Amino acid sequence: MSASLATASTVEQALAQLAAGARPVAGGTDLVVGARQGKAPLPERLVAIHRLAELSEIRESSTEVALGALVSHRRCSESGTVRDRLTALADACAIVGSIATRTTGTLGGNLMNASPAMETGGPLLCFGASVTLRSAAGSRSLGIDELLAGPGRTTAASDELLEAVSVPLPPAGTGSCYARLEYRRQMEIAIAGATAVVTLANGEVTDARIAMTALSPAIGRAGEAEAALIGSGGEPDAIRRAAQALAAAASPISDVRASASYRRAMAVVIGRRAIEAALARARGEWVPVPASTALHGGVR
Amino acid sequence: MKVEAILRINGVAVPVEIEPHWSLLRAVRDAVGLTGAKEGCDDSECGACMMLLDGEPVNSCSYLALQAQDREITTVEGLAAPGELSDLQSSFLEHGAVQCGFCTPGMLISATALLRRTQDPSEEEVRIALAGNLCRCTGYGAIVDAVLATAAGRAADSVP
Amino acid sequence: MTATAQRPRLIRQDGREKVTGAGRYTADVVAAGQLHARFRYSDHARARILRIDTSRARELAGVLAIVTHEDVPDVLYGQMVKDRRLFAREEVRFDSDVIAAVAATTPEIAQAAAELIQVDYEPLEAVCDPELALEPGTPLIHERWASYEADETMERDGNVLGRSTIVRGDATAAMAGADVVVSSRYEADGAHGVPIEPRAVLAQWQGDRVTIWSSTQTPFAARSGVALTLGIPESHVRIIVPLLGGGFGSKCDFHFEAHVAALARKAGRPVRLVFSRREEFVAPDHRRESIAIELQTGARRDGTLVARRARLVLDAGAYCGEGGFFAQLAAMHAIGPYVIENVDIDSRLVYTNNQPSGSIRAPTAPQTCWAVEQHMDELAAALELDPVELRRRTLIEEGSESPTRQVFGPVGIRHTLERAAQMIGYGQPLPENEAIGVACGWWPSFGMPSGAYVKLNGDGTATIVTGAQENGSGAVMGLPLIAAQVLGMRPEDFSILCQDTDAGPYDSGSSGSQTTFNNGRAVAEAAGEVAQRLRELAAEQLEIDPLDLELAGGEVRVKGSPDRSVAISELAAADAEILGKGSGAVPEQPACSPDSGCLGRLGMESFLEPQLITHAVHVRVDPETGVVRVLRVAAAHDSGTIINPIGANGQVHGGVVMGIGQALTEGMALDGHGHQRNPHLLDYKLQTAADAPRIEIAWIETPAVNGGPNGSKGVGEPPSVPTPGAIANAIARATGRRVHRLPMTPERVWEAGR
Repeated sequence: MSASLATASTVEQALAQLAAGARPVAGGTDLVVGARQGKAPLPERLVAIHRLAELSEIRESSTEVALGALVSHRRCSESGTVRDRLTALADACAIVGSIATRTTGTLGGNLMNASPAMETGGPLLCFGASVTLRSAAGSRSLGIDELLAGPGRTTAASDELLEAVSVPLPPAGTGSCYARLEYRRQMEIAIAGATAVVTLANGEVTDARIAMTALSPAIGRAGEAEAALIGSGGEPDAIRRAAQALAAAASPISDVRASASYRRAMAVVIGRRAIEAALARARGEWVPVPASTALHGGVR
Repeated sequence: MKVEAILRINGVAVPVEIEPHWSLLRAVRDAVGLTGAKEGCDDSECGACMMLLDGEPVNSCSYLALQAQDREITTVEGLAAPGELSDLQSSFLEHGAVQCGFCTPGMLISATALLRRTQDPSEEEVRIALAGNLCRCTGYGAIVDAVLATAAGRAADSVP
Repeated sequence: MTATAQRPRLIRQDGREKVTGAGRYTADVVAAGQLHARFRYSDHARARILRIDTSRARELAGVLAIVTHEDVPDVLYGQMVKDRRLFAREEVRFDSDVIAAVAATTPEIAQAAAELIQVDYEPLEAVCDPELALEPGTPLIHERWASYEADETMERDGNVLGRSTIVRGDATAAMAGADVVVSSRYEADGAHGVPIEPRAVLAQWQGDRVTIWSSTQTPFAARSGVALTLGIPESHVRIIVPLLGGGFGSKCDFHFEAHVAALARKAGRPVRLVFSRREEFVAPDHRRESIAIELQTGARRDGTLVARRARLVLDAGAYCGEGGFFAQLAAMHAIGPYVIENVDIDSRLVYTNNQPSGSIRAPTAPQTCWAVEQHMDELAAALELDPVELRRRTLIEEGSESPTRQVFGPVGIRHTLERAAQMIGYGQPLPENEAIGVACGWWPSFGMPSGAYVKLNGDGTATIVTGAQENGSGAVMGLPLIAAQVLGMRPEDFSILCQDTDAGPYDSGSSGSQTTFNNGRAVAEAAGEVAQRLRELAAEQLEIDPLDLELAGGEVRVKGSPDRSVAISELAAADAEILGKGSGAVPEQPACSPDSGCLGRLGMESFLEPQLITHAVHVRVDPETGVVRVLRVAAAHDSGTIINPIGANGQVHGGVVMGIGQALTEGMALDGHGHQRNPHLLDYKLQTAADAPRIEIAWIETPAVNGGPNGSKGVGEPPSVPTPGAIANAIARATGRRVHRLPMTPERVWEAGR
C-alpha cells in the first residue's frame, strides 16, 4: 500500500523525490496494473511526473528526433517524422494494446518497465537510440542496449529519471518495419516480434539492423542476420538466410502463450516479413502503418 | 492514510478523500459515488472502466486518481445532461447495441472519443477504436452500426 | 414465413439506465455499514486439511468476522449429486475450494486477513486427467461417493459422476458391413463463460431473515441453496438481482450467496463480495467442460449413415454443481441432427481435481458438435461427396426417427443448411488460403415450470411481475411484446418487475434458453386472465356477449364494429386492480422409447422442439503462422417463430462471436496439477471488435407445435453450437489438415500443417 504520492511540477522536484526514495509514475499503465495483479505492490512513495511539460515534447532536428519520456505511444505513432523516417517505431507504437493504452502509456514507462515483449524496444535498439537519464547529481546518456538489463530490469539507478529518448535519423534510402505475431488484431502482446531497419544504396543493402522481441530474455540484435543481408540486393534468398539467422540467435521460452519451438519457427516468418516490409519501404513502396495489418495476409 | 483531493468530474468539482494508491476508477466509484464506470478486470484488458480524461479515453482502473487532479474527467454519466440522451446513446438503444450493458459505459466513452477525433470513421476505424472494450453479448455488430449511424446522422445534420 | 424485419422493433426498457450509467449492478449497490468479503482458497488441487487456524487473522484490526466450516451446518449440496460443502472441512478437491471467508472494513484488510489464515495440509496427488481418472487404481476424488445423496438415474461409479449410453441396433455389425468407415479422435479444452461483470454478492440480515443481492442467473436456485446450506427456511431468504452484467451460464446455480450471508450474520453487518477477474476465472464451479471424443462412423456409398460409435469422456472437475446432466447431453450431440441407423454411444462425466464444470452456453454442444462436424467432413471426403451434399442426405426431417425412437415433427434443419450455404456463396472460387466450412447442430428447448403475474394499473398501464431473470439477453425485456399482443396494448405500456424471489413466482432462471419459451407462455396466460376480466367488464357496459369482443388499440371493442368500444384505461379505473396470473402448461417431453441398453436416462433422450442450426464460415488462414481470421459468417437458425427480432439477432451475433472465440483463442490452459495458467483476459483471449466478422442471419421460422408463445422455441444458446465446427472445417479445407484440439490456436493450426 502506497503511503504517498507527490506531483512534481518541475524536473528538479521529481529528482528530489527520487533521491528520497520515490518511484516515478507517468501514465501508470504498467505500474498500477502490476500492483493490482499482485506482481509487485505499489511503491510506498510515488512521484507523479505526468505534468512535466518538458518531458512531453517531441523535438526534431535534421539529425535526430528526441522523444520526451512522457510522449505517449499514440503521439509517437502519429508523428510525421516518426512515420516517415522511423517507421518501425511508428509500427510498434501503433499496435500497443488499445487506443486507450496507447493514449495513456508513455514511451518512458514502456522502456523502464523493460519487458522482453515491449514493442518499442526493438525499433529503438535498431535505430541506435539513446536515453538521457538524469539525477540530482547530473545527466548521462546510455544506449538502449546499455539500458535494458533483462526481463523487468534496467541499468538506471533508482534516483535516475528517464528524460528523453534520442533517435538518430537514419540515412536516406532506409526503410524499417516492426512486426509481431498477432493472435488477435488488437489488444495483443508480442509472442514473437522482429524489427528490421535496412538501408539501400543503388539496390544494395549497405546497412541492416535486425532485432528480436519476445524471443530472448532481453530484446537484442541479431548480428548474423544483419550480416546475411548486408551486401545483398535484398533478394528472397538473402532475406531467408537473414530470417533463419535471426531464429538461430533466438533463445525463446515456452510459456502459456506459445512453445519455444513455435516461437522459433515464428521468428523465421515474422523476421522475414519485417525484413521484406523494411526493404519495400526502403525502395519507396507503400506499406501501411502499422505494418501488421498488411503483413499477415491482411483482413479487410 | 487518506489525502484530500479535488476531482473535476462531468463539469463539477468534487472534493474527495482518497488513498494515494487508489485508481481513478475506485475514487470515482467509491469516493464520488458515480458507479457508471465498471470494473471488469484487473489489467486494462476489458475497457469497462473507461473514462475520458481531457477528452481522451483512459482505462481508469489503471490510472491513479491523484494524477487526474486538475484534469477534466468525463464518465458515462456526463455524456448527456440529466434526463437527456446523446445521439450516440440513442443510437445504441435503437440498434440493439445494449444487452447486459456492463460494457456499454466504456463502449460509449471510446465511441465518443472516436467521433470527436474523426467525423466520418470507416467501419475498420470504428472496430479498431472499440477493440479495447470487450463485449460478450452483442458480437459488436450492433455497436459498430450504432456508431456509424451516429456519424452519418451528424454528417446529415451538418449539411446546410 | 413473414420477414422478421416487419415485426416490432422493441427498444428495451432497461436500455436507458444502461446507456446513462444510472443502472445499478450488484457491485454498485451499497448498504450502510457494509463490510468487504474475501475468501481464503485452497492452496492445493487435492489435499487433506490438517488444521485451520484463524487466530492471527482475527487479530488484524478491521476484521469483523471469519467463517469456516465450523460456523455453518454440516450440509452437502449439489444439484444432482450432493457432494460439496460451503467451506472445505477435511479435504480440498480443487485449487479454489473455499476454506474460509473474511469480512473486514476494507477489501485490503480482508485480503490480508485471508492470507494470515494458517492452513496445514497433507498434499495428495492431484488427479487432473479425466481419462486417467477412469483407470483402475487411480485415487478416488470422493472416497465416500457412494454415500452421497444423488439423483437415482445418475449412473455413478467411483470417479464416474454420471454415465449415459445410447444404444440402438448392432453398431458393430453395421460398421463391419459399411462401405466406408471413418474414425477420429478429438479433444476439446475447457473454456469459460466470461461475463464482463465479475460476480458480486451483498447480504444483509434483518432479524432472522436475509436479503441477498446477487449477480445470479437463477435467483430461485440461489435461494434454495442458501436455505439448504444455512439450515433456514426459504421464506427467510430473499434474493434480489440488480442489473446482471451477463452470465452465459456461468452465473447459473447457487454460488457464493451463502458464504456471504454467513459472514454477514456473524459480523452483524451487511457484507459485500466482489470478485476480481482472476477469481471469476478460477473460483466458480462453472466453466465449460473439456471433452475427449472418439468417433467412428460407417456409411454406405450413397452417404447413408449405417452406424456410429462414440466414446466421450467429460471432465466434471471436483464437484457436480449443476452439471450432472452433461454425459447425456453430450451423448445426444454425438449423434446430432442426423439419421443414423445403428448407434453405440458411451459418455462418461468424470470427477477430477480440476475446477468444477457447469453450464456454459449450450454445455457440451459446441465441443461435441465441433468434433462430430469435422468427423462428418472426414466422412464426406472418404465418400468423395461434397460435405454439404452429405449433410443434405443425412439430416433429419419431419417424420425421421432418432436413435432413441423419437419421431420428429416439423424441423427446419435442411432449410438452414441450404440457406446458410446460399448466404455464404458456397462453392464460389476463393483466393488461396481461404475456404468456407459448414457445420450443423441442434439444441433442445427445455419445458420448465414458470410463472408470471400481469397487473393492470388504474390508468390502463400494466406491470408484469415475473420470476424470470434478465441476464442481459433481452428475453425478459421482450415479455411486454407477448402481453401487449394478448391485451391489445402497446409494449411500452408495461413495466416489468423481475428477479426478486419475494415478488415473482418461481422460474428456473435465465438458463437453458428458456425464458421466452416458458415464461413467455406464463405471461401470455396471465395477460389472458386480464383480458378475460376486461372482456367481462366491457361486456357489461356494452351489453354484449364477451365472446364477441376483442382487445386492440388499447380498447375492448366489438368484433366487426370497432366503433362500439370501451377504453382499457376506463375499465381499469373503474374496477379494483385486475390481476392475472399464469404459469402455462409445461410442454411434455416428446415420446421416445430408447432401447434397453440406454443408461443414464435423465430426460434428454428426446429433444423437445429442437432448435436447428447451420453455420457457414469463410476464413483465411495464414499457413505460415497458423493465424486464422474469420471473414464472414452466415448463420441460419430454426428457432421457431421469432418474437423479438432485435433480441434474437443479438443472440446470434453474440453467440457466433463467442463461438469464434471458443474456436480460435479461448481455452483454459491447465498445468496438469489443477491450476489454470491463463486466468486473465490477456491470455484468455476474447474476440475484440476488430476481430469480429460481419454476420448474416436467416431465421427459418418453422413454428413450434409444442413450444412457446406463437410457436417460438428458445434462442439463446444455439448460436455458439456449430460455429467452432464450421471454422474447423474451413481451416481443414484451406490447409488440407485437420486440427484435432480445441481451441484451434495458431500454434495448433501451424502444428497440424507441419
